[in-house]
Formats: sequence, structure tokens, C-alpha cells
Amino acid sequence: MKRAIAWLALSATVVMLPLVPWIAPPALIQFGTTTLLIATLAQAWNIIGGYTGYASFGNSVFYGIGGYGTAIAMVQFDLPFGVGILLGGALAVLFALLLGLPVLRLRGHYFAIATLALAEAMAGVVSNLDIAGRNIGLILPLRKDDVLFYELSLALLALATLIVYWISRSRFGFGLIAIREDEDAAAVMGVNTTLFKSLAFMLAGFLSALAGGVHAYWITFIDPVSAFDITLNVMMIIMAIFGGAGTVLGPLVGAVLLASISEVLATEISAMASLFFGLVIVVAVIFMPRGLADLARRFRSLGWRYFRENLRLHRL
Amino acid sequence: MSLFLQIIANGILLGGLYALMALGLALVWGVLNIVNLAHGAFIMLGAYVAFYLFTLLHLDPFAALPLCMASLFVFGYCLQRYVLNLIVRAPMFNTLLITFGFDVVLTYLAQITFSADFRVVNPSYAGANFTLFGVTLPLVRVLAFAMALALTLAVWLILARTPVGRAVRACAQNLLAARLYGVDPRTVYGLTFGLGAALAGAAGDLYAVVSQINPYIGDPLTAKSFAISIIGGLENPLGVVVGGLFLGILESLTSLYVGSTYTDVVSFGVLVLVLIARPQGLLGKTT
Amino acid sequence: MKPILAVDHITKRFGGLVAVNDVSFDLQEGEILGLIGPNGAGKTTLVSLISGTIAPSTGKVVFQGAPIAHLPAFRRSRLGIGRTFQLMKPFLGLNVLDNVAVGALFGTGGGRSQLHRARDEAAYWLEFVGLDHRAQQRADELGGPDRKRLELAKALAMNPRLLLLDEVMAGLHHGEIDEVVTVIQKLRSRGISVLLIEHVMKAIQSLSDRVLVLHHGNKIAEGPPQAVLSDPRVVDAYLGSRHK
Repeated sequence: MKRAIAWLALSATVVMLPLVPWIAPPALIQFGTTTLLIATLAQAWNIIGGYTGYASFGNSVFYGIGGYGTAIAMVQFDLPFGVGILLGGALAVLFALLLGLPVLRLRGHYFAIATLALAEAMAGVVSNLDIAGRNIGLILPLRKDDVLFYELSLALLALATLIVYWISRSRFGFGLIAIREDEDAAAVMGVNTTLFKSLAFMLAGFLSALAGGVHAYWITFIDPVSAFDITLNVMMIIMAIFGGAGTVLGPLVGAVLLASISEVLATEISAMASLFFGLVIVVAVIFMPRGLADLARRFRSLGWRYFRENLRLHRL
Repeated sequence: MSLFLQIIANGILLGGLYALMALGLALVWGVLNIVNLAHGAFIMLGAYVAFYLFTLLHLDPFAALPLCMASLFVFGYCLQRYVLNLIVRAPMFNTLLITFGFDVVLTYLAQITFSADFRVVNPSYAGANFTLFGVTLPLVRVLAFAMALALTLAVWLILARTPVGRAVRACAQNLLAARLYGVDPRTVYGLTFGLGAALAGAAGDLYAVVSQINPYIGDPLTAKSFAISIIGGLENPLGVVVGGLFLGILESLTSLYVGSTYTDVVSFGVLVLVLIARPQGLLGKTT
Repeated sequence: MKPILAVDHITKRFGGLVAVNDVSFDLQEGEILGLIGPNGAGKTTLVSLISGTIAPSTGKVVFQGAPIAHLPAFRRSRLGIGRTFQLMKPFLGLNVLDNVAVGALFGTGGGRSQLHRARDEAAYWLEFVGLDHRAQQRADELGGPDRKRLELAKALAMNPRLLLLDEVMAGLHHGEIDEVVTVIQKLRSRGISVLLIEHVMKAIQSLSDRVLVLHHGNKIAEGPPQAVLSDPRVVDAYLGSRHK
């Protein structure tokens, strides 16, 4: 019975979401678009961080590459948006492949630091490129259609979620999970760990790049600071983890919840977002490091002691 | 030729300061196994403390060192004792995430408190320099270099020779045994992290004298500190001197031959390369 | 008859330490070869060299007539080499059935491409080792002996031709040991060749066609179980020099 209700709620939401722009005020549509895009980033992170267990602290680099690929294609080469965004995606995949191969050989915190350094490095590189407008950035052609961008972002999130769903039920996904749980054991059982890790990284990069492209076209502007914003990493990671990394809907739920709370607490999503998300991270990592999914599962048996348990296990 | 020597000299002076920057991070990482992604933010805070002491109280930046160190020490101690200690035995990823959160929060708070404008600390002797073998050495940079090396050596001595240092190293190696000897790990962890923050504060003070500061200098400095720590290896605190000099000279050369806007890219690039090639560092042991 | 596995003068050095020193032996198809020796003799290292977890310093490994020493671990698994780990490595976040399904998905020949088929196969192997009643439990909820069964089922689901078993019976009591012995005998009747590292001598005696003894990385004896186990050099190795 509970499952039937859950399915009904899910289907209702899925049907309602595309219709939102026709009944909501502009501010809500804009909030919705931003949330959908960051939720896409969280889902993309989920693939490499949640399922494969390689926590990248620099996925913002793909977002920036996607944005710049789109911008350069449209501004410097007069190409249409569809081509531009695919170009951005292709560049991201190439980056993930070339730089992923050496960096994915690192484990644990070394991998995290390396990805963070890569993200910072790319921001610096791009700010030196003339074709990217150096520090000033580029101005994209204007397309004033908030509804269009909302639907695009929704479609992108749907795509990302479907991909994650497919992963959760496929041989590929099982290979990723095996890598996360125990990479050596996975290799011995026949998983081609190098190939699978690279594919996961490329997939995450591609989806993040598409989000970056949509965002750039939407706000008609891109510059190194906003495109490669390090804070995005904090947000996408905490959203995925808060909701439940390694689950299909976790990052979605985390993104919507945290974005909404942040919106309620602040006047606009960018200003106080850093402060809010930083604090959420600190609290969540201390009291519920395995996210809502785990909390929901164990709360039934442990109740409030769940939080005390996490403290007890991890404190000095 | 003398230009080349000048560049090298600049690099060395910069390198000494970088060594001090990295020391706090390397100490906390090597001893407590805590990877602090907010390290650069601590440096940034130290720089702002020095700036305001100079601007509001006309306190000479070198005289302000003890104050910068003390204030950052207290900050770091509290952060460790009351927040970080809660997740010390959790997977390393949690520490990364929490310090990442600190970094973001501190940067944001700095931005709204201090504004994003560039600041600089300009003591009256800022323009003075002396010449040695045809190379111009700015006085402030030489003083910063000397101060940085002195602090690095002092820390190394404390760790190696004093009872407090022994307690810290004991905790690092065996928590249970340390407890049995009457050492309270929570306090030791707090003291160590506080020391790391204090060193970052000192580095920030000196950095404010030789370079412009704004709320965003944290991340590149964290990356530089990482690169230096890894190059020098975490086994020996003096390794940061090797790493610092290496990075300082490399940045100086980049500034001349490639362009000054590329220096941060070089730091990050070096970090990635070092991680890929040799995560245990030049001086570290191969595991 | 050509051996299914031929190890040829294999040596492994870790810095200054020689873990395995110039060891050579054959394993015939359908044979059960026992591998014994005191702790630290290099048995697990030898198995890791065969499974591909580590690469040899010198020497060759030939499996089903083809050299494999240069192949990474996952390729060797695809060729038909399965192994269990002494320090068991279950996939803790997955349930028991899915743990075994990973083996079916990625085993010999690349495994299955469809998840539900792999799960069916996993169910079969769980029943084979006697663990089917725990199929839906999370792997981290299992106790010691059940983890051993799981480890074995994971390796079996890969459909190996050669199975490397690393102390599957450690910590089990007599009844459980007999069960595992029966399982391994069933494997032999299916044509699977087995290399068995064990300290439980009664299992070694009842299962092995031949026994190989390692000491300080060197092969010191090889032959039928009775002969090897009464060889004075072997007794010496286990009891140490104070026996003299």
C-alpha cells in the first residue's frame, strides 16, 4: 500500500513539474531552473562519487567547460545553441578521458585534492585565453524565454536521473558499485576497473557540461569566476550526500530540500548560499554522514539515537 | 644573467614564505592525519588580522606576528576541539568535506566583512631594499624570509625535542598508547591544529606585507601548501623547505617567462603532477 | 596431459624482502593441489601472483597453455581464474545475493550481460554453498563462517576453471570443515582445478592429490600428502629450529 502511494506521488510530481511554468510567478520559475540545474550536477556527481566511490571535489570544471564550450561556439563561431552545447559536452568528455586516466589512479583524498586542483587550474587557464574573453568573459546571444530554459533544465535532470536509474540496474552499475565497495576484489572478480572508472567520470562530466551550457545560455553571460565557481562543488556534493549518495532519487531530494531551505533563508540563492551550505555540510557530516536515505532506513529502529550513534562512532 | 639571478633570488625569498605556509598544513596532516582544505582561508584570516592591526593600530606587521599567531591559534584550537574532534575517527572523506565547508564559509564571511577589495600592508620601510651580488633584495621580503625560516626551525625543534612535541608525536602514532600514558588526545589534537592555524596566521601576516590580499587568496594558497607538503613529504617537517623553495623558484620563473597571470595555474598544475607522479613526496618513503 | 597451470621460476621481491623465491610447479586439470607452509611462507603472495593482484619480479605463469604474467587481474578472471581472499572482502553495501551476482556478471568469458540472469545464477551458487537463506541480508550482517561461504560463492559464480582458495576453513569447527570439504569435492567432480592454501591438515590430507610446501618463500617439498606431511624438512619448518 505504501509503495502504491509512493509511486502515485512520484508520478504526480513527474507530470506536474513540466506544467509549473504556466502557473508559477517568474521568480519561482527562475528558482526552479536554478534548482533543476544544480540537481543535475548533484546527480552527475552521484555517478562518480556516489556509485563509483571516487569523490570528485572538482566536478565544477566540467560545468565550466560545458559553459565555455557553448559560449565560444555561439559567440566566436556563430553556431546554434544545440551544436554549442554538444560541443561543450564533447570537450568535457575529452577532458575527463585525458585527465581522468592519470587522476583516477589516485585513491581517496588524493583523488579529491587532485580534482579540486584541476578545477582551480582550469579557471586560471581559461582566464588567460583570448577566445574565452580572458577575465572579462563572454556575452552570449540573448534568448529571453524563462519557460524554455526551465523545461530544458527539467529535461536535463530527467535525463540524468534516468541514466542513474539505468546504472542502478545494469551490469555497468554493478561494476561501479563493486569498485566503490572494494576495488581490488572487484578487479579480481573480473571488473575492468580502469575502463569503468573512466566511463563513469566521462558520463558525470558530460552531464555536468550540459548543465553548464544551459546555464550560460540562460543568463547570457559567462566568466571564469562564475563558470568555475568552487562553491558549486560544495553544493552538489552535500546535496548528493544529504539526500543519499549511491541512490537514484537521493541527490534529487537533497537538491530540492537544500535549495528550498536556502531560498527561504536568504533573499537570493547565490548570496548566502555559501554560508548555508557550508553550515549544512558541517552539521550533516557530523550527525548524518550517510545521508537521508540511511537516516530514513535506520530511524525506525534507532530513533534519535541515530545521531548520537554517529557521534559516538566517529568522535575522538 | 643578472636578471636570471634576480628571478632565482625572488623565488628563494618567496619560497621561504611558502615553506612557512605549508608547514601548518603538513603538520596537521602528518601528525593528525587531518587534511585541512580551509588552510588557505586561515592564512587569509591571518593576513587580515595583520592588515587591521596595521591600519587601525599602526602596529608594525612583524611586531604583530605574535598577535596574529595567538588569535589564529585560539581559533584553530576551538575549531578542532569542539567541531573537528567529532569526526576524527570517521572516514577521511568526511574531514575533507567538513574543512571544505569551513573554507567556503570563511571565504564568504571574509567577503562580506572585509569586502572584496585588494588590501596591502605598507610599513614605512616597504620600499627599502639592498643589493647583494647585483641582485636587488627588498627588505620586507628578506625579513619575511628570515622570519619564516626561523619559525619553521622552531616548530621542528619543538616537535623533536620538547615533551609537548613528544606527546603530539605519540598521539599521532598510537592514540591508545598515548592515552595510557596520561595524554588527553582531545587537547593534544586541539593544540596541534591550533599550532597549524597559528603558523598559517603567521604566514598570512608575512604574506600581507609582500603581496596584495583579498578574501579569495585562500584556495590558491591551500593548493600551494598541498603541493609543497607533498613534494617535501610528510615525514619530515623540514621537507616543506625543499618544497617551498622549489615552488617559489618555479613560480618566479613562470612569472618571467610565461606571464604573471599563470602563476596560480602553475601551482595547481604542479600539485596535480606531483600527486600523479609521487604522492608520498620527494623526501617521503615509498609505501 | 598438459597442466592447466604452470608456474615457472617465479620470484617476487618487495624492496629487500624476497617473498617468493624461484618457485616452480604444475597443476594438472581436475587436480586439487594443497599449498601449506608456516605463516609468512609466501603462500598468499604466490596466489596473488597467479591471480594477478601483484606482478612477479621474474618468472612466468602459464594458464591453459597461454602466458598470463603480464595480464591485469580482471583479464585473468575472465580467462577462468577465481580466488578467495584470506582477509575476506565482501561488498558490504550490497546484499548477499548481489555480492555473488557480481561474480556472475564479470566472470569467465566476461560473465553475463543481464542482471536478472546473473541473480538467478547467484541464487544457484548460494544454494550450493548453503547460504541461500541469507540471500537478502546485507553482507555486513554476516558472521565469520557465513562470510567464508559468501567468499566461496562469489568465486564460484565466476565459473572458474581454476579456483585459488586461501584458507577458507580458518576458524571453522569440525562440522563446518566437513561441509566445506564436501563442497570442494563436488567442485572437483565438475572438473574445476583447485589450489588450496590451508592450515587444517585433515582437510589437506583428505582433499589433496598432491601437496606443495613453502617455507620463507622457497618450495621445500612436493608430492603426495602422506609423504610430504611426514617429510622431516616439513616438520622442521613448522616446528622451527628449536626442534633440533
